[in-house]
Amino acid sequence: MVEKKKTTTKKTETKKKDTKKVAPVKQEIKKQAPVKTGPSEKPRIGVFICHCGTNIAGSIDIKDLEAYAKTIPNVAHTDNYQYVCSTPGQKKITDAIRDQKLTGTVVAACSPRLHEPTFRTATKEGGLNQFRFEMANIREQNAWVHMHDKEGATDKAKDTIRIAVAKASLLEDLTPKTVPVEKAAMVVGAGIAGMQAALDLAAAGIKTYLIESAPSIGGRMSQLDKTFPTLDCSQCILTPKMVDVGRDSNIELYTYSEVDAVEGYIGNFDVTIRKKARGVLTMAEAEARGIIGGGCNGCGDCDPVCPVVKPNVFEMGMKPRKAIYINHPQVVPLLYTIDFDSCVKCGLCVTACGPERKAIDLEAKDEFIKVKVGTAILATGFELFPIEKKTEWGYKKFENVITGLEFERLICASGPTSGHLVRPSDGETPKRIAFLLCAGSRDNTGVGKPYCSRFCCMYSLKHAHQIYEKIPGAQTYIFYMDIRSFGKAYEEFYYRIQDEGTKFVRGRVANILEDPKSKNLHVYADDTLLDRPMDLEVDLVVLASAVQPSEDTNRTRKLFGVSCSMDGWLLEAHPKLNPCGTTTAGVFLAGVCQGPKDIPDTVASAEGAASAASIPIHKGEVELEPYFATCIEEKCAGCGMCVNLCPYSALALVDKDGRTVMEVTEAKCKGCGTCGGFCPGGAIWMNHFATPQIVAQIDAFLLGGEQ
Amino acid sequence: MVRTKGYPAALDQKLQDTRLHNDDSNPEFTKNVKAISRTTAHMCYQCGTCTGSCPSAPRSTYRIRKFMRRAVLGLENEALTDPDLWLCTTCYSCSDRCPRDIIPTDVIMAMRNLAFKRDIIPVNFLKTVQSIYKTGHGVPNNDVNRAAREKIGLSRDPPTTHMYPEYIPGIQKILDHYNLKANSDRIVKEREG
Ligand code: SF4
Ligand code: SF4
Repeated sequence: MVEKKKTTTKKTETKKKDTKKVAPVKQEIKKQAPVKTGPSEKPRIGVFICHCGTNIAGSIDIKDLEAYAKTIPNVAHTDNYQYVCSTPGQKKITDAIRDQKLTGTVVAACSPRLHEPTFRTATKEGGLNQFRFEMANIREQNAWVHMHDKEGATDKAKDTIRIAVAKASLLEDLTPKTVPVEKAAMVVGAGIAGMQAALDLAAAGIKTYLIESAPSIGGRMSQLDKTFPTLDCSQCILTPKMVDVGRDSNIELYTYSEVDAVEGYIGNFDVTIRKKARGVLTMAEAEARGIIGGGCNGCGDCDPVCPVVKPNVFEMGMKPRKAIYINHPQVVPLLYTIDFDSCVKCGLCVTACGPERKAIDLEAKDEFIKVKVGTAILATGFELFPIEKKTEWGYKKFENVITGLEFERLICASGPTSGHLVRPSDGETPKRIAFLLCAGSRDNTGVGKPYCSRFCCMYSLKHAHQIYEKIPGAQTYIFYMDIRSFGKAYEEFYYRIQDEGTKFVRGRVANILEDPKSKNLHVYADDTLLDRPMDLEVDLVVLASAVQPSEDTNRTRKLFGVSCSMDGWLLEAHPKLNPCGTTTAGVFLAGVCQGPKDIPDTVASAEGAASAASIPIHKGEVELEPYFATCIEEKCAGCGMCVNLCPYSALALVDKDGRTVMEVTEAKCKGCGTCGGFCPGGAIWMNHFATPQIVAQIDAFLLGGEQ
Repeated sequence: MVRTKGYPAALDQKLQDTRLHNDDSNPEFTKNVKAISRTTAHMCYQCGTCTGSCPSAPRSTYRIRKFMRRAVLGLENEALTDPDLWLCTTCYSCSDRCPRDIIPTDVIMAMRNLAFKRDIIPVNFLKTVQSIYKTGHGVPNNDVNRAAREKIGLSRDPPTTHMYPEYIPGIQKILDHYNLKANSDRIVKEREG
């Protein structure tokens, strides 16, 4: 106990020190005098057209396009190449800049998303400022969508290049800003993904705030009994990690908490954590209130006296809990929680807890804590799709139809039945058990989920195995469409389960009916391999229900500015080359929140996210694109109308040389352009998207290249 | 069929090559079925939910899933000449549950339409056409029904063409417009003499 107290004190000290170390961002940024007119020299633009193999060349006439590009005003050089992004392709750019004395470059190729940085680097290597580069997207927005109209696509590409050249002719030198990165990270969600990410970050010497909305950590994995294909017990491999998380001095754990607000940007996120009113004080919190030696020690004296009984969500509602509760005996942290939605404030627990410990505070309120972090990882996990929506399988209508997660609790030694698998209807041991795969997954009806939930095949195989472990003489049936045993040692596991006696029926179950007397279930399906419909009577049905993003995912992702796909899974920056990153710099994804994953993949993704999130922190500073607004003070009338328009509160009025003018806090400005488009005096210059540059683009399009 | 010397015809028949060959598939058939049924007939992944739901399947050799497979592969002859094509009760149970959101019942209807164009149709269906032409009903009222109706306080005949025979010519006009009656009469005559 004493040791624990010490750790907590140390933590607070570290936090203070850290806050001091970081200088305010604004001071770090060197103010750059904006260039308000285009470059003075006559523009000489080089145009480089990429074939992208046949991606572009297959639907656009490159020869014709290049011949046209030569005729565009200001174009001093043109070239084309199979892959401009390759080494020889980039060399064409660097060489031409030197040999042709270019003032700007245009690459007509893919979208800027992947290769804008590539070509900027090439432009820089050729001796120009990297912002003298403009990309013309002739692939995603042209070649790929106009695959069957070569002539039209070529014409459109001519327009796109002409517009890009018009802008490139007016581009100016810019210097990226560097800002310091707070040496701290946040991980949202403390399931196996979040825990692993936090442990890795902490081990790399990074202070990590780990936020969990439930009262204890461990997530879904802590509900599982054994894990496939090795059959090691989930608790045995997870509990040590939970303990590590609890005692790591670099991890500051916030359970029963959620992210309330996020401000800032990579390197400098200001996050407000909402600590939900828990009604129970930790020992440290008690000490802070002057209750020496008090606080919750997890003794549980409060539990028996509480008169309110509620279903235990951790046990999938199959076990009761009180209004003051812990989910199971091994919780980390070992700290009770009051469910204030059901607490009647009778005060019996307060008495049971006693005047020494004084751990219970029935008047507790939510607390808000502000922390600053450099990077953040979202690991918000999943929940089961409400499979009762697929009415044909009778979940919640027939007692003996359960979900895979309920099976886990029923077969788990620490579960509500101490590991004795029984039928909910009569407590009997089931002898004939059917497992339904793809329950709600691979479903295009709009009721279920169109995707594969990815781990249900394997856990159902494992469930079948566990039945043979525990119930001699049982018979299991697995109804499947495809067995997806793609992981390491998974196919071998499939072999083993079939060898143990499970009958695999290749057919998706049409419907289930219950015998009202015996509560047995009739499973109707087509054995597609036998080409024969079947009516199979079983004692228990287990639905391998589809999974979906956890309840709070959408709210949390919006706070961090992360996008999601149509089905709600969080969107990675690139599905192959950047699966842990997001399009918001400094925010990363770990585990199932990005898409269904089994435990090995989840842990790998968490370690990937932790590694990615630690890079900016270890670098110590990040470059920001210099796309912020600047004030042309001679033109500014000081009306201040822009100040209220800015969605990021980046603008203010200041007095300068006896005049009131607008001033931009560059680190806050996201370059959205709201103010620039609005200013009635034309006094706001948006770097890289300045009015003359945009007007030139519009002219180039509308005038079709005529001057 | 190539006859093997010395083998009886029946054995030859039995030993013939039943493998699927490229030219068994007619891609146009897949397209036609899709167009007529207005459902994504080519998207079936053979899960069997349809056959598992089908009230006809347990009591016959009819397998809706098999017809879906034929739609995917374009096995026109195999689909249209299979007498099972006519065993669907149009209950739409399969359509309710198909996870790919296909409407197998409408696929069957499309195939029946295509079969009829080739004069492939069971005689009882044609007799139904003739009955509709005559009475406006596929299954006309009869005395047993009339007595039952009377017993529960209904009129002896329902308020259909039975009660209003003056509408029968309208129905006949529709059937004639599609040549349904003429075709039915012709085929029945060919089959039954
Ligand atoms: S239910 Fe739909 S997808 Fe499944 S076999 Fe039948 S038609 Fe195909
Ligand atoms: S509509 Fe036809 S094929 Fe579909 S379930 Fe009913 S009888 Fe079977």
